[in-house]
Amino acid sequence: MADTQTADTKALLGGGSEGDRLAATHFMVGAALLVLGGGLQLLSLVSLRFAGLLPLSYGRIEPMANLTLMVGFVAISLIGGVYYVLPRLTGARLWRVDLPWLGLLGMAGLVIVGLIVIGVGLGDGSQPLGLPIWIDLPLVLVLSIPLIVTVATIRRREEERSFVTLWFVLGGVAWLPLLYIAHLVTELPDVSSVATAYGEVFFSAGFVTMFLVTVGSGLVYYTVVKELDIALASRQLALVGFWSLGFAAAWWGAAQLLFGPGPGWVAGVAAALGLAFPLGALANAANVSMTLEGSWAELGERPGVLSGVLGLYLTVGVAAVAALAGFRSVGSVTSETAFWEAVEYVALGGVGTLLVSSVSLAALPRLIGRQVETASQARRFHRLTIAGAVGVLITLGAAGIVSGYSWIGGSNSAAYVDAGEGWAAGVSGTYDTLVLVALIFGIILFLGQLSYTALVTGTVTRGKAIPQEVLVAKETSDE
Amino acid sequence: MSEKLTAAAAALGLPEALVERSAAARAAETGASADDILTEWAGGEAASASAPPAEAAVSETSNAEDAAEDDEETPSQAATPPTAVQEIVIDVPARPETAAPVPTGPYKPPVLVGARDNPMTILLGAIGLFIMIVLVGLVGPSISTDIAGARSSEIPYTESAQRGRDIYTTSGCAACHTQMVRPVIADVGLGAVTLTDTNQVLGTRRFGPDLSDLGSRMTADQIEAVIGGLGSHPSLILSSDMLTDLVAYLSESRTSGTEQS
Repeated sequence: MADTQTADTKALLGGGSEGDRLAATHFMVGAALLVLGGGLQLLSLVSLRFAGLLPLSYGRIEPMANLTLMVGFVAISLIGGVYYVLPRLTGARLWRVDLPWLGLLGMAGLVIVGLIVIGVGLGDGSQPLGLPIWIDLPLVLVLSIPLIVTVATIRRREEERSFVTLWFVLGGVAWLPLLYIAHLVTELPDVSSVATAYGEVFFSAGFVTMFLVTVGSGLVYYTVVKELDIALASRQLALVGFWSLGFAAAWWGAAQLLFGPGPGWVAGVAAALGLAFPLGALANAANVSMTLEGSWAELGERPGVLSGVLGLYLTVGVAAVAALAGFRSVGSVTSETAFWEAVEYVALGGVGTLLVSSVSLAALPRLIGRQVETASQARRFHRLTIAGAVGVLITLGAAGIVSGYSWIGGSNSAAYVDAGEGWAAGVSGTYDTLVLVALIFGIILFLGQLSYTALVTGTVTRGKAIPQEVLVAKETSDE
Repeated sequence: MSEKLTAAAAALGLPEALVERSAAARAAETGASADDILTEWAGGEAASASAPPAEAAVSETSNAEDAAEDDEETPSQAATPPTAVQEIVIDVPARPETAAPVPTGPYKPPVLVGARDNPMTILLGAIGLFIMIVLVGLVGPSISTDIAGARSSEIPYTESAQRGRDIYTTSGCAACHTQMVRPVIADVGLGAVTLTDTNQVLGTRRFGPDLSDLGSRMTADQIEAVIGGLGSHPSLILSSDMLTDLVAYLSESRTSGTEQS
């Protein structure tokens, strides 16, 4: 019985190498957790608009959503993408394939345990994940596994020339555990409140720039070049994109604490270096666009490539908005408001979904020998995700700006009396309406995420059989 | 069929199961029969225009091999040391034309290859950059600035209030409330500006009111009522001891009257 089940599972995941089954499983687990994470993210918007409506407060739902999306969906899926490209770029077998299986089990298991722990109120309340230390520590260990496997695999490489994706992958898997460790240090009991606050925004911003966008962009490079069989436009531009994303990490996080109790020089540095985020995003988007010159017509038939292009463009939009708010004049209105919630919401739910789907929709047919199920469903996924993400970014961002201006108008100090009670009520009504509209766009984004999961599930279970790419170990003889 | 399969597998040096599946896929792709494909691979007469799997195999490198004239860009497939176990991608291409054994079209640039380099230098650079960012972006802003004569933002909380601060944190209150008053017009009326030595929970979002000076605005009973769900505030389920501690923390949060250092 057990043998039959194993055989069935292997048949479902394709008859390729163990490393390929590993990558395919990562994509499937990530897609399943996206439904949970996307749903929780939507509930966080519901609790923001209708406080007290749900049995759990926003303060608990938000870290639950962050945990599921950041670790459960983005990290697991992108790490699956890393395991997919590594043997193909290095010509070496994935090192110790049992270790990544353990990592996958650990990440998925810790996400589920973490959700329960936060839900029942045993989390530590820290942002963005809210996990107690006894979950944080094993999570750091399992997040270190991709780094170990990647370094060990690259050390055994047969291919001496590096495609640009290898830089992004290596940087991303190295930065992820380091970010988490730095965040953990700022949560220690004797660390000052100011350091804790900076640690929280540092991790949130760092995860998006140093892991999500870095690894995601690197995998898009691989997807575009591999799927369309065309050469990359510029290796130098990719290098600019990679290092810019690394530089950008801390600064749009620090911009969220503008005018706070940190030293004054942080604001200036944050504004200047925060520009590295849109610069890196733009470099990658431009590079891919130039690579696609003459091949744009093929995008409709390549859902993975289209996802990557849309994901990179959306990243440029999110990065531009985040960098803009790093300037003191804008930050005096947007800091501490829902504006930053919009940026993080779209970065995880929109950019994350598109960049992940870029590699998964291109890789799954090669890994399991099944065609992506129906092009129309892929189109639906793209339309819903883009419409929802852009809608949330605009409306929730606008809600933040409105509340920021209402504070400047004196709504915190009762000075609004001078402007009349009607003014305060009007501002509040506008804010509530914008959050409500954002909620509607959030539903659209969630439908897009559901479409992605349905697409992955449908491809694995019902996709039309096509030739499969199989990794085989070949004994070479003495010559 | 099995003899042809064995012969083809022996000729290609690949497992029979793999050759059989590749032949079936190739047959479906080209319209020829699997037997003919196997005969061709075993060294017999050609049955189709398709290439045998060994040539189609290196899908990651085949395009580079097509451009073998460009020595700079040729991958190291040929440079593989003997006796090494090598990963090869067996790829039965979806587009037969990409597997043509001899390139007949115009020069096609190689893909998925780059300069000869050591990726570990990228790793070292990435770690170095991270250390720099942590020092400048995390450690730097967190260093307390003690200026002589400056007002202190540290509040002398009682033991109960300190326990309440932990409850405030673990309950996720900081997800909606700040305890940080900034020197900006938007925060006028919230209380004294928060300085670096604060022992309150700063928070990063202000969906609800700022609570750094709540004790000056509300009584303990009023605070307890709000925590219990008064108005639009969600009701927190806490034991009576926890509620007492949390109320103590918020009641003692008074920054308006903090003493000079």
